[in-house]
Amino acid sequence: MEVENGRTEKKTMTFDEASMERSKSFVTALQELKNLRPQLYSAADYCEKSYINSEQKQMVLDNLKDYAVRALVNAVDHLGTVAYKLSDVLEQQTLDISSMELKVTCLNQQLLTCQTYTDKEGLRQQQLLAIIPRHHKHYILPSASAAKTLSWHLASETKSTLKGSPHGIMSTVDSKTNGKRSGAFTLLDTADNTRKKSTPASSLAMQTLGVTRRESLESSKPLTQYRSFDNPTQMAIIRPPVRSKSMLSAFFAKQKTPKLKTNV
Amino acid sequence: MARAGGITNAVNVGIAVQADWENREFISHISLHVRRLFDFLVQFESTTKNKLAKLNEKLDTLERRLELLEVQVSNATSNPALFTAN
Repeated sequence: MEVENGRTEKKTMTFDEASMERSKSFVTALQELKNLRPQLYSAADYCEKSYINSEQKQMVLDNLKDYAVRALVNAVDHLGTVAYKLSDVLEQQTLDISSMELKVTCLNQQLLTCQTYTDKEGLRQQQLLAIIPRHHKHYILPSASAAKTLSWHLASETKSTLKGSPHGIMSTVDSKTNGKRSGAFTLLDTADNTRKKSTPASSLAMQTLGVTRRESLESSKPLTQYRSFDNPTQMAIIRPPVRSKSMLSAFFAKQKTPKLKTNV
Repeated sequence: MARAGGITNAVNVGIAVQADWENREFISHISLHVRRLFDFLVQFESTTKNKLAKLNEKLDTLERRLELLEVQVSNATSNPALFTAN
């Protein structure tokens, strides 16, 4: 890294040195062109005096012609050199300014990115948190743990009908009918456990399952009582709502909660 | 003799006229080239002035943009908490 930095430094030095060299050569050429003026004036004075004082005027005239031609060629050469070097210096400075413009544009772009980021971050922090349901109410289950596939629920329902789940709301009288519905009521336990986390959108699902939010939130009747079958005297026989349809229909049916409530 | 002198004078005059014409031609050539040199210098001056004006304009624009950037960066550095993720 140090070697590379040294090389880059050398490159920058050579670039600066090259630009300095260009400037120096331009100044030198300009100085030489300026020095031509007194030389031409002195040569003109000498030729005038020699033509006046000399006897061989024709020879002086011929020499003067030759000198005039060479002086003109020399002046043109110097002017061309100065013009070329000045153009070179201007071109180099134009390139430098163009590169500086690019760098400034990059800085501007970076600053704009930072500003955009701060604006977005500020908006994100200031926005009100709102859970927007992505699915229809039919498909939203009451609890996060119950957010499983419909097939799973159907499978659990069938299992419960075969095995007879000990959990859920059950009555000794309607055990047979409740066996079919135990799978549905297993959801209630999980729903009750996470009732604090349930959203308003899930209330409909809970209602379709026969449990209202009011019942679930009532502390006087904790649903944990309904789990055990050891103390049947502590609770009254609560008949589950009349269900003539399967769980699928419960999910896809429209709200019949007023009627279902009355049946409880 | 006078006739020979007259002829000699005519020849000398002729030679002088020819030399004069050559000198004038030479002067006209020189003046033409000097005028062309002058035209080149005028054109070069206008071109260089145009380039310098463009450079000056670019430099002014750059200077203003840099001033704006300087102000923006100073504002940004004054509130470093803006860039910390919360």
